[in-house]
Amino acid sequence: MSQQALRVVVSVAAFLAVAFVGIAFVWNFSAEEASRSWAILSAVAAVVAFAVYAGVEYLQTRRVESISRQFDTRTIVLIPIAIAFNIVLGQAVAQALKIPIYLDSVGTILVGAVAGPIPGAVTGFLANILWTYVLPPPFHSDIAAPFAVVAVVIGLLAGMFGRIGWLRPRPNSSGQRLLLGGAIALAVVAVMAFYAYSRFYADLDGLVVFNPENTDPVFIALGVLIAAMSVAAIVGFFAFLFLRRDLTVAYVVVAGVLTGIVAALISAPISANLFTGVTGSGTDFLVAAFRQAGSDVSTATFQQGLLSDPVDKLMTFLIVYLILTAMARRTKARFPQGERLLERRSTEGAAT
Amino acid sequence: MSQPGPSAYHRLNPLTKLVLATVTAVAAVIVGGIVGPVVLLTVAVGVPAASAGVLKRLLRTSLLLSLPIGISALLVNLFFFPGGREVLFQIGPISATREGLAFALEILARILAISGGITLFYLTTPPHELVIDLERRGVSPRLAFVASASVQTVPAMLERAGTIVAAQRARGLDTEGGVVRRLRGLVPVVGPVLMGSIAEVEERSMALEARGFTRPGRRTLLWAPADRQSERLARWLLILVLVALVAARFSGVLGPLP
Repeated sequence: MSQQALRVVVSVAAFLAVAFVGIAFVWNFSAEEASRSWAILSAVAAVVAFAVYAGVEYLQTRRVESISRQFDTRTIVLIPIAIAFNIVLGQAVAQALKIPIYLDSVGTILVGAVAGPIPGAVTGFLANILWTYVLPPPFHSDIAAPFAVVAVVIGLLAGMFGRIGWLRPRPNSSGQRLLLGGAIALAVVAVMAFYAYSRFYADLDGLVVFNPENTDPVFIALGVLIAAMSVAAIVGFFAFLFLRRDLTVAYVVVAGVLTGIVAALISAPISANLFTGVTGSGTDFLVAAFRQAGSDVSTATFQQGLLSDPVDKLMTFLIVYLILTAMARRTKARFPQGERLLERRSTEGAAT
Repeated sequence: MSQPGPSAYHRLNPLTKLVLATVTAVAAVIVGGIVGPVVLLTVAVGVPAASAGVLKRLLRTSLLLSLPIGISALLVNLFFFPGGREVLFQIGPISATREGLAFALEILARILAISGGITLFYLTTPPHELVIDLERRGVSPRLAFVASASVQTVPAMLERAGTIVAAQRARGLDTEGGVVRRLRGLVPVVGPVLMGSIAEVEERSMALEARGFTRPGRRTLLWAPADRQSERLARWLLILVLVALVAARFSGVLGPLP
């Protein structure tokens, strides 16, 4: 136990050291750059801290049990199936439906939830690489490989949410707790959304997504569509919460929106620099609309990502949660992180 | 077990072809402009494809693949390019600009170079050859299993979906009609596909464990693609050229090309 404490202490120290160096010497923390710099800095520091943790464990035990434990045979077998989920659903949505979401991380998040952060990251990475380099058409995408790093982060986040028990079912919650949980979830989502959106929409007339005086019918239609989607999401959320009487839905919503914001911040620069925001899917209309409204390419991709990604990841997390609740308890429990996906028994509930 | 390919380019080691495809794609982005990607397309994609006799298939597949993204890039940049001044023509409130057109052509050249390089790679390389070659080079057998199983799982999952659609339609599922009806029809198809695939995990992992999948140590391969000293040299040269290009671009030695 003291060995593990040493690992944690050393990796936290490494995180702080990287953060200190980054703040002091490397990144620009002026007002408009701060949020982007923070995102990159915390990602780099987290990776270094993790590498240090694994390194110390290897020095102590000559093995990296904390990683290899997450890769049992069951996980290895699930990963190809999850990759196929990603590719089949992602390709169907991008090519056939032409709606501004992706739905290409169902498998990544599923593996992250049942097996852990590292298998989740591996699934995301391999799915995007294979999608571009190995799979023949029609299941082939020229643009997936550069976004592999985004998929890695999505897998890591999903693994963390699984590990801290956010995806554990909480059936038969009382109405009061549901209402409270729903309100807290909405408040958290609102704060996150306000913070992220104020960074990237502030240039366009305060916090409005589209200038109301812009009488172009395209923008009015888009504005109405976005407002309708937000209202539908909130109504749907409460309906879902009370229909299933499962408090976990609130956790799932927060996890989805958080993952979406992070994914948008990482993927927007890639999309802007490599493809000028044009990826041949339904999101192109949004990028075009924002550029018409006066944003440059990089701001337009951030604005598009911050609209599409949270909605997309929210839907993906909900789909994964539905899959998890449909899986048999014993099937779930056999995966490395499966115990954290089972509801607490009433006898244990008192103790924990 | 050795499989002689139809041409010398087919018979190259899969890793050599993979390196060529990646270097082509990355170089097209690094160099930018129109001339650079076009030269790359001719030298690194066109000539090898012609020598391998796949030029026609390459053109068809590559154009088909880049068509949706190409049309999007053309429309978005032609009409919405922010710095556009010189108006070519107008449709209602939006106008097409010359600067937008130039920028769109640049993007199109880049996309064609990326998609051409990658298409050439998989037109001349069966996926399992790449996986076996990587395993021979010391990639863990677990990773190799994941890669080759993924490639096989996608068509298998489509087949399963086809079976389930047929079964549900026999039970009266309506898959035609309006958007809402079609979306509702998705649930009884997607659900069984996902859950059925997950249910298979148990059987497959038992089968693998019974065959010593988790056993440590290296496996003996029955067959592996050939590799030559000259190819190894060529791969390193390609990577060096790419590194030199990146360095030249970012140090300012290589300015923007037309």
